[in-house]
Amino acid sequence: MTNDLPVFRPTTLAEAREAVAEGALLFRGGGTKLDWGRAPAHLDRVVDTTGLNGIREWNAADMTATVGAGTPLAALQGQLAEAGQWLAVDPPLGAEAAATVGGVFAAGDSGPRRLRFGPVRDLVIGLVFVLSDGTVARSGGKVIKNVAGYDVAKLFCGSLGTLGLVTELTVRLHPRPEASRTLRIGADAGTAAALFAEVWASHLEPVALDWAGGGLWVRFQGRVAGVEAQLQRVRLLAEKRALPSEVLEGPAEEEAWRGLVEALAGQPGETVVRGSTLPDGFGPAAEALRAAAGEAGVEAVLHSHVGIGLHTARLSGGDAAAHARAAATWRQSLEALGGHVVIRRRIPGVEEAVDVLPVDPAGAAIMKRVKDLLDPESRCAPGRFGEGW
Amino acid sequence: MTGLRDTLAEILGPEGVFDHPAQRRTYECDGLTAYRVAPSLVALPRTTAEVTRVVQACARAGVPVVPRGAGSGLSAGALPAANGVLIGLARMQRILAVDPANRQMTVQAGVTNNEVNRAAAPHGLYFAPDPSSGVVCTVGGNVAENSGGAHCLKYGFTSHHILALEVVLPDGTVTRLGASAPDPPGYDLRGALVGSEGTTGVVTEVTLRLLRKPEVVRTMVGDFASPSAAGAAVAGLVGAGIVPAAVEMIDNLAIQACEDAVGAGFSRTAGAVLIVELDGVPGDVEAEFEAARRLCIEAGATHLRVAADAAERALIWAGRKAAFAAVGHLSPDYVVQDGVIPRGRLPEVLDRIGRKSREAGMRVANVFHAGDGNLHPLVLYDGAREGEAARALRLSIEIVELCVDYGGSISGEHGIGFEKAGSMPRMFSRDDLDVMQRVRAAFDPAGRCNPGKIFPAPGLCGEGTYRRSPLEEAATVRQP
Repeated sequence: MTNDLPVFRPTTLAEAREAVAEGALLFRGGGTKLDWGRAPAHLDRVVDTTGLNGIREWNAADMTATVGAGTPLAALQGQLAEAGQWLAVDPPLGAEAAATVGGVFAAGDSGPRRLRFGPVRDLVIGLVFVLSDGTVARSGGKVIKNVAGYDVAKLFCGSLGTLGLVTELTVRLHPRPEASRTLRIGADAGTAAALFAEVWASHLEPVALDWAGGGLWVRFQGRVAGVEAQLQRVRLLAEKRALPSEVLEGPAEEEAWRGLVEALAGQPGETVVRGSTLPDGFGPAAEALRAAAGEAGVEAVLHSHVGIGLHTARLSGGDAAAHARAAATWRQSLEALGGHVVIRRRIPGVEEAVDVLPVDPAGAAIMKRVKDLLDPESRCAPGRFGEGW
Repeated sequence: MTGLRDTLAEILGPEGVFDHPAQRRTYECDGLTAYRVAPSLVALPRTTAEVTRVVQACARAGVPVVPRGAGSGLSAGALPAANGVLIGLARMQRILAVDPANRQMTVQAGVTNNEVNRAAAPHGLYFAPDPSSGVVCTVGGNVAENSGGAHCLKYGFTSHHILALEVVLPDGTVTRLGASAPDPPGYDLRGALVGSEGTTGVVTEVTLRLLRKPEVVRTMVGDFASPSAAGAAVAGLVGAGIVPAAVEMIDNLAIQACEDAVGAGFSRTAGAVLIVELDGVPGDVEAEFEAARRLCIEAGATHLRVAADAAERALIWAGRKAAFAAVGHLSPDYVVQDGVIPRGRLPEVLDRIGRKSREAGMRVANVFHAGDGNLHPLVLYDGAREGEAARALRLSIEIVELCVDYGGSISGEHGIGFEKAGSMPRMFSRDDLDVMQRVRAAFDPAGRCNPGKIFPAPGLCGEGTYRRSPLEEAATVRQP
């Protein structure tokens, strides 16, 4: 879709302003989530953010950093680790770990440890952006607590580049934990849901609580004593149910999680469907997916951030019509539970058969006005959310 | 206004509308009493339907509306419009749904933080934002100001704990923003509305996120020779990778006031006391509490008192939370300020505040959320003395603008309101403010909802006080 378009790669704010001056624009960081949202109606140029790269300011004593939007998240984490800090998001990074801080923010993507640290929206404390009319503006600031002015950054988070080009972000950092362990408990979805309810009702404070690959993954991070004690308590819960479990730590733990998380992005030939429910909706969501996939004749692999209420299904086998049918059926079930379903990566033909990004009509009128006021000519990825926006 | 009064009386009943001057005067200010304006009318609805009809009537009449919760705000954010209707939401006190399994609760906007916590407590849950005014302040007010409190260092601000909002827009339409389940598709309007200080609509219902009460809580109070020494201890904690639930500092002047009022046992001779609280699972808390103790001693703590039980902890917090009111023991009047600085700069900024206080010949007490750099200097004055109130307000604004010079913010939790609208250009460029105004227009194109708040009056624009835009800054940096 974007292969034949001219690419502008600004390296300064002034160049970024020039790059957005005309045409229908697609903002691209690492290019790992270009297929999220609807396919834009029309595009004239790509604005590549990778030239807006690097740490501009790192106040390690205040645990904040200001970075160019095109900074690869992996590179940032590497630098922050030198001072025992990190930006507490762990989303898929994609091929060659290309995902950028700005891209992760614009897509509103997080990862398993959102359970503990909140979504990326809560970690970005300041923003600089360029609107399509050339306005360069900032919101927020550089301190972790700040309520001066509107929190415009919230609108940009998850806007998929439809409001303007984010050029710089200031983020709150967290200390890297002293210890980390994961208990992987073999459990089918029904058993895992019951086990989750027990952990959820206890005083345990897991940083991640996921169900994937036929098991519940419970991760603890913090001080050695706290991590060990909590792990033991969960192990006892598993033993009571006679469920097998294994402890992961060190590089093996990191690699296991990295593998799980990277798989969330899906493979060519797969359709990736993201559902959300309340935390107690995991069991029903898993069951509804099994039924929807069976009915449509496709295979479905589920990875749930159970404690957050986010469920990623990867569909394979079957044609586009079957993928669309499975997604639509699952959506019906999840909406009945008060949740939502959006479609991310998909095989050709799915988008024609099912709405990939249905926005709640209640808020849509104000959202469209926001779009009209910030991007009056509708030049930023026009059509990604709906007609005209 | 007589016609509008009659319309509102039809909607709310005669007891739901105030138009007598004495009644209206009750609503002429919020917690920042230095600014007072009596509204034309006061409307006190009980339901969303009533709010809707009131706002519709005001829209038809072309009259501004100002929403108000408990009136405990400290930035004149609920200052009435002289020609407008003040909508008091304190009668909307129903808790609509409690969902302990999903750690959520839906309440009407006039429910207080205390009532939320009372309803959550039987389930072992609580609402994290804890402004000092929690006994009276409303959830709707928390949403408007994006309130914080002592524990947001670890648990975040109101914005992090709001899942969905029901809001009556200035044209009288009702809409629901956000959702109980995470990540509803579309722009995060709920996120934009939280902290918009009543300038985007009237919030009528709130679905909020609750947290599990921590298994253990440990609290200590350290005495230090000076605020700077206590500030060094804070830097030590942050540097050691400890994220306490709360770190609060009270300077000597404020200690006297707290002790007079509550008698929480703070050392009257200390230059400053630091309250450090850790919570979580026992293994983590014990290790970090011990580390925090060591760091306080290394930073020069002359005495450490560890709360023996929940009662002693409650007493310590009662002392801290009474600080603002207690300053009334020291001075007939005072103004509370709210600024933020990077945590590493605490000692320097406290020295600068001390100098400004001496130059102005006015006493300044300091009580603040040291863990996140959120200062609350209290400027003491006597309103009966000619010109002293004006001098106090000026000093207080100077102090908060000083925070901007150190890379900080003019508000950490109290909001901009009417009080600091004129200081916004110190922090934001004309274009920054223009973008915020565009967002506002998406909700309130006519600017009838809480006018005169947050944004500086248009007349200020030409005075050259505006902060340079990011583009201008970048251009300057790049010059050889």
